[in-house]
Amino acid sequence: MTQNTTTATWQNIFEAVEALYELGWTDGLPVLPPTADKVAEFLAAGGRDGAEIVGELPERRREITAEKVAANAVMAGCKPEYMPVVLAATEAMLAPPFNLVGPSSSMGGAAVLVIVNGPIVQELGINARNNLFGPGNRANSTIGRAVRLILMNACAAIPGLYDRSVIGHPGKFSYCIAEAETETHWTPLHVERGFSADQSAVTVFASEAPRQVRSVGHPEAILYALADVASSLGTSLSTSGSVGDPAAGIRQGETVVTIAGNSNLWRDWTKADVKQYLYDRIQRSVADFKRAQVFPGDMEPGDDERMVPLTAGPEDVLLVFAGGEESNMSSVIPSWGPKVGSTSVTKEVRR
Amino acid sequence: MHDGIHVEKAGLPSATICTDRFIPTAKGMAKMWGAEDYPTIFTEHPIENLDRNQLRKRAEGLATEVVTILTGS
Repeated sequence: MTQNTTTATWQNIFEAVEALYELGWTDGLPVLPPTADKVAEFLAAGGRDGAEIVGELPERRREITAEKVAANAVMAGCKPEYMPVVLAATEAMLAPPFNLVGPSSSMGGAAVLVIVNGPIVQELGINARNNLFGPGNRANSTIGRAVRLILMNACAAIPGLYDRSVIGHPGKFSYCIAEAETETHWTPLHVERGFSADQSAVTVFASEAPRQVRSVGHPEAILYALADVASSLGTSLSTSGSVGDPAAGIRQGETVVTIAGNSNLWRDWTKADVKQYLYDRIQRSVADFKRAQVFPGDMEPGDDERMVPLTAGPEDVLLVFAGGEESNMSSVIPSWGPKVGSTSVTKEVRR
Repeated sequence: MHDGIHVEKAGLPSATICTDRFIPTAKGMAKMWGAEDYPTIFTEHPIENLDRNQLRKRAEGLATEVVTILTGS
């Protein structure tokens, strides 16, 4: 064990669970005790020395060691073999472009969505299909939960103290999905972002909750509805703000879009086609922004026709083929803020 | 809080204004950086719904306190 480690002895599991509540190390649900032997087993599975610094959060004077990552992964209920994914997610959210201090403290209430790509999805059985954001799969539930526990216990994102989310959202308990990349002709997300198909990678995205879109059956109808939902007033993207591109007048940001069902429906569409289609339509009129008092000033002729895009380019629409095979239902997940506040980051899963 | 404390540590006088819903967060951040006595001005929450004139009026009401902290007198 590394320095500054506290050890304690408990007589039984229930006593341990209660003691962990007393220590304030839980997300409100019971956690497993991070025993010294379990933490060592997880470190070995991750191929890391306990003292290795995985990343830093300088604003809160925190160095996040591999041992802290392992302890939280144990507490979350992970299997040891999940460690490389948890480590990659931790590295990604501590990378400077993610600017973790922003989304982990803001009133905007972001969760860290973890998207896993590559062969490790099959190896670990990470769910990319039915109940994509729902319960029932150990890998998704515990990897996402480990990330939240790392945020709370190692990064000081303590609700009510340094995490000042006004409403939060259920994804703050656990928010981990995979892309069903073996079941589509679409280029996997991590390959779009510079990795090879035989590499595994984790993308982290500071974001709001998913909003389900029920339009099904016809590609253009689905995309039209998706763009409409993604153009909603009231998201972080459609808010005026102190950061972002001042010329745009609104914050702009990134949007994750998931599309489920049978990929054959999209046989005439590439991912780039879909992203371009959505980018062209994820927008809102100046008139609407004025009605919602996002923009100041009185209505002027032409305001209904002047459109403001909510993203800066098609590359800011992150398209993920995922969700149940039963239907082409989809979802929209707006980013917590503008890219200058937090940008999605992809890191390789090292093994 | 973070920036104010660091500007002060760098030798430049600073005055930080924070709304009163964030008192525990501000005090926690000061403690985290070993600056428990860092003087912070707390003003009524919220300010995000104030228009330009209302915000100016609020700032004017705090100006004396800001000057006192910056000049130490």
